[in-house]
Amino acid sequence: MLVAMSETLTTNEYTDDLRYEVFNREFMPHIDSMYNFAFRLTMDEDDANDLVQDTYLKAFRFISSFEQGTNAKAWLFRILKNSFINDYRKKSKEPSKVDYQEVETTYNSEEASDTTYTVDLRADAVQELIGDEVANALNALPVDFRTVIILCDIEGFTYEEMAKILDIPIGTVRSRLHRARNLLKEKLRSYASSMGYDS
Amino acid sequence: MNASSTTPSVTEVAQKQMKHTCEHHAECMKVIQAILDDEASEAEKDHFRENMDKCIPCIEAYRLEKCIKDSLNFKIVKKPCPESILNTIMSKINS
Repeated sequence: MLVAMSETLTTNEYTDDLRYEVFNREFMPHIDSMYNFAFRLTMDEDDANDLVQDTYLKAFRFISSFEQGTNAKAWLFRILKNSFINDYRKKSKEPSKVDYQEVETTYNSEEASDTTYTVDLRADAVQELIGDEVANALNALPVDFRTVIILCDIEGFTYEEMAKILDIPIGTVRSRLHRARNLLKEKLRSYASSMGYDS
Repeated sequence: MNASSTTPSVTEVAQKQMKHTCEHHAECMKVIQAILDDEASEAEKDHFRENMDKCIPCIEAYRLEKCIKDSLNFKIVKKPCPESILNTIMSKINS
């Protein structure tokens, strides 16, 4: 699985010195982003710590499948996301028990996702919300929807990079983002109205 | 958004009939998303340029989407990775 991450089966020649150099130069600068991604996926500090550590140790072990000059951040995010799915998701302490499949099916219906939400939330109301409220609304989303929003809006990945990180086609990135944002708007709307910023 | 010479001036827009309903809003929402994510195709950019300044629901939707995107990007606190994790990683790869 890890070898396939470079998208080629060629491994690159790395001397010991080069392994450390690439690790420090290409991987370490992303550790804060990785930590925040891990925390928002697991919603638990201990799990986030373990996940970041595991990911960096894997990255070092499989560094020969990283092609220098390619996007190290996307490469690392992909390892982290795969580790999360394989090792952490099952034991996740995430409070949201909403079944992803069920939610995606509901929001697959164009009617459900596109026409019902549009009018109830105003930009002014969102502007009034503080960071914690926005974070809580984001955290209330099922993890797969949360993930696309984190990758796109917080980390600034392109659709193409997201498709590689998540192993899904670009069309699915687009539609999942669209649904995720509609869900987020619903969460934000209930925050805004509970704060009295009713539209 | 677009400052090209084809953009009508403010007075021209004011003279135009503003649309209060959008008959293809679902489609427009996808275009607005692509524009804000800097992922729009040329066709989507054309559609946006031609319609954005005369459709009130789309103007409002654009403002809302942009505001949410900016809130996610700028308001949510990004924590630094704890020093202890850094140290553990470095000591493990050096051993």
